Amino acid sequence: MDDKPKVAERERLDLADKLRRAEETLRLPAVPPREHLPVESHVLQPGQQFRVVGERVTRPDSRLHGLGLTRYIDDLSFPGMLYAKIKRAGIASARIKRIDTSAAEAMPGVMAVLTGREIPVNSFGPSYQDQPVLADEIVRHAGDGVAAVAAVTEQIAEEAAQKITVEYEPLPAVFDPLEAMREDSPRVHPPNSNIYTSKVIRRGDVEKGFAQADRIFEGRFSTQMVEHVPLEPHAAIADWDANGRLTLWVTIGRITLARADLARTLKLPMNRVRMIATIVGGNFGGKNEITQEPALALLSKKAGRPVKGVFTRSDEFISTTTRHPCIMEYKTGVARDGRILARKVRLILDGGAYCSWSETTIGKACILSCGPYRIDNILAEAFVVYTNKTMTGAMRGFGAPQVCFAYESHMDDIAKALGIDPLSIRLRNAFEEGSVSPTGQVLHSVVVKESLLKAADRFGWETRP
Amino acid sequence: MKHRGRGIACMWYPIGFTVSANPSAAVVKVNEDGTATVLTGTVETGQGSLAVLGQIAAEALGIAAEDVFVVSADTDTTPMDTGAIASRTTYVTGNAIKLAAENAKAILFEVAAQVLGVMPAQLEARDRKIEVKGFPQHSVAIGEIAKRAQVTLGQPPIGSASWNPPTVAMDPETGQGKPFSTYVYATQIAEVEVDDETGEVDVLRIAAAHDCGTPINPMLVEGQVEGGIAMGIGFALQEEMLFDAAGRQINPNLTNYIVPTSLDMPEIAVDIVPNYDPTGPFGAKGVGEPSLVPTAAAILNAIHDAVGVRITSLPATSEKILAAIKAKRTEERKQIPA
Repeated sequence: MDDKPKVAERERLDLADKLRRAEETLRLPAVPPREHLPVESHVLQPGQQFRVVGERVTRPDSRLHGLGLTRYIDDLSFPGMLYAKIKRAGIASARIKRIDTSAAEAMPGVMAVLTGREIPVNSFGPSYQDQPVLADEIVRHAGDGVAAVAAVTEQIAEEAAQKITVEYEPLPAVFDPLEAMREDSPRVHPPNSNIYTSKVIRRGDVEKGFAQADRIFEGRFSTQMVEHVPLEPHAAIADWDANGRLTLWVTIGRITLARADLARTLKLPMNRVRMIATIVGGNFGGKNEITQEPALALLSKKAGRPVKGVFTRSDEFISTTTRHPCIMEYKTGVARDGRILARKVRLILDGGAYCSWSETTIGKACILSCGPYRIDNILAEAFVVYTNKTMTGAMRGFGAPQVCFAYESHMDDIAKALGIDPLSIRLRNAFEEGSVSPTGQVLHSVVVKESLLKAADRFGWETRP
Repeated sequence: MKHRGRGIACMWYPIGFTVSANPSAAVVKVNEDGTATVLTGTVETGQGSLAVLGQIAAEALGIAAEDVFVVSADTDTTPMDTGAIASRTTYVTGNAIKLAAENAKAILFEVAAQVLGVMPAQLEARDRKIEVKGFPQHSVAIGEIAKRAQVTLGQPPIGSASWNPPTVAMDPETGQGKPFSTYVYATQIAEVEVDDETGEVDVLRIAAAHDCGTPINPMLVEGQVEGGIAMGIGFALQEEMLFDAAGRQINPNLTNYIVPTSLDMPEIAVDIVPNYDPTGPFGAKGVGEPSLVPTAAAILNAIHDAVGVRITSLPATSEKILAAIKAKRTEERKQIPA
C-alpha cells in the first residue's frame, strides 16, 4: 500500500538526478576533473609515472564537435556583414567581350560588384601564377568566376549574380588529355604548349633488363576525376579596419602561403593582412590555396562592410581543384621466379585549366610509380597537360592512389600468369631496410614486408599458388 | 550468383614536400604553474593534429597532455608553417615543436640545476617534475622552477625553433636525388562480394597494416586509416565527375555524385606496424594521405579474384563490371570447340 508514494518519490528523484547529471555533462566550458590539473603538489607518487607519446589522448576539439558547438565560418557573423556570390562562366573556352553589371548594381540591397579587371594582380598559383581570381579576358573552364557581388542577403546576391550579363566569343576547346598533347590541338594558355610539366626517372638500363627477362607484361590503366567533398565547403569572411588592415577568416590549410598569395593579388604589404584559419571542416588537399578570398577582400573594401562568402556544393565541384585523372602505361620484365628485372612507366596526367599543385602531383606520381619494389632498371616518364576542364590540384595522395591502382593491378596480373601467390610475389620484390629507391635514395625504417605479413595475418590470408 | 574474392595491395608514400623546402616553426611557452602553451602556424583540418602536437610538446617537457594548450593558425600570432599538406604535420611541425620545447626546457634545467645543486646535463624532466638522473628523490616541480625562472631570475622559459626535412635536388635528366627525408609503408587486403548478375560490389572487410613510425596517438592513426578507406572505396567504385560535350559538369551535386556513407563501410581491422624513425619526433612519421593509397588497388584485385575480370579504368561501376563479365562469358563460349 505505502509502496506507491515511495515509487513515485523515487521516480521523481531519479528524474531530478538524471536532469542534474545531463546538465553536468552539458555544462560549458569543459572542465576536466580536478585531479588532472597540476595544482597543489606537482610531484606524482611512485607508480603514477606517465608517458604521453603513444597514449589515446582525446582531441581538444572532440567535445565541441560532439556537442555540435564547433564554430565554423558559417557560424560566424559580424555587424553589417554582407554575403557574396560569384558568377561562373558556364562556358569552357571563350574570350570575354563585355561584362554588363548595371542591372545587378541597380538592385536594392546590392552593395558592391567586382570584375576581374579591378583586381590589382589578377593571378595566383603555387608553381605558376596562371590562374586568375576572376577571369578578365579569357575563360579557360566552365567554372571560372567572371564577376562577384556582395549584398545584404544571400538571396539578393544570388539574384544579382544572375542579372550580370557577359558577352562571350567562343574559342576552340580541348577536353581530352591525349588530344591536348598533340601539336595541332587548341592551346589552353597560348602560345605555351599544353604539356606544361614533365618528369623523368632513369635508373640502370631498362632495355637490357627487358632483354634479360623471361616474360614481359604490359598493362594500361586509367583513373577518373574526383572531388575532395569536404563536409564544410570553402568559406571566408573579409573585414578591413579603419587603418586599412585586412583580416580574413578562412578555411585554408596553409595560411602562410595563402597570406603571401593574398598580399600579392591585392598589392598589400604582408603585415597589413591577418589570416586566421578556423577549425576547418575537412581539407584533403582541396583547401591548400586561395579561391574567393581576394574577391571578398575587394568587395569588402568597396562596400565598407565585412563580407562573407560560402561556396555552394556546386561551386565546390565546378570551381575548386580536383584529383588528376591519369592514363598509365606499364611494361614490366620479370624472371620466371617472379623477380622484377625492369619496368617502364608512362604517365599522362590531366591538369585541367590551371597548374595549381600539378608540379607536386607529377613528381610524386613519377617517383612512386614503380611501387615499393627493388627494381634495378627503371624508366618512368610523366607528363601533365592543360585541358579546358576544372583544374586538378592537391588531393590526398598526390597521384599515389592512381599509380598504386596501376602497379598493384599489374602485379596481380603478373603473379597470376606466373602461377605465384599475390602475397609471395610482393614479398619477393619488396623494399628492405637499405634498399635503393628509383631516385637512388637509400631507404631507412622500411617495413613493407612487415606490413604485408601483418595484414595477411590479420586477414587470414592462405597462400594459394 | 554472388562470388567472394580477396585482393592485396601494398604501397610506399613520402612525408613532406618533393625536394622543396617546407619548414615549420614553433614557439613553446612554459607558464608559471608548469602548464604550457604551444604556438604553431599549422591548421587543424579535422585530422586531430592539435592533439598530436600537444602530446609531442608534453612528452618533451615531461608534463601531461592536458597541461598543454595549442594555439594555431593565425598569421599575426603564430609562427610560419608550411601547413596541413603532404602528410607533414606530425613529422615536420612535430619536430619543430619538439625542438622548441627542448629550448624552453633548457632554461628550466639551468634554473633547476641551481636549486638541486647539480649540472643541467644531469637533469631530466618527467611526471611534471625535474629530477636528477638516477636520483628521482632529488626533484623539484616544473611549476616551481618555471615560476622561479620568470619571477625570481627574470628568465621566462620560452623556446622557439624551426625544422625543415633535409632533401637533395633531383637531377633533371635522370631524376636521381633524395626528394624526401622519409617514407611510410602500408598494406591493405580487401574481401569483396561481387554479384555476377548485376555487377554490384559489396566490400565486406579490409585489413589495413600501416607504418607511421611511432604512433603518437594510436586512436587518431586508426581514425585516419578508417577515413582514408572510406575515401578509397569512393575512388574505387563510385565517384566520378562527369562532363558534357561542351566541358560543363553534369553531376556537380551530392545527388548524382555518390560518395560512400557509413552504410557502405566494410569491417575494418587497423594494425599499426611497429617502427621507429630516428629522424621523426619520438620516432614518428605520418599517416594522413597513405591511408587511402592502397584501398582502390586492393578492392580491384579482389574483384578480379572474385569474378575473373580485370577492370583497368576507375571507378569500377556495376555497369563496367557487368559488361566485363558478359564479355568474358562470350569469349569463353567462343573457345569451346564446335
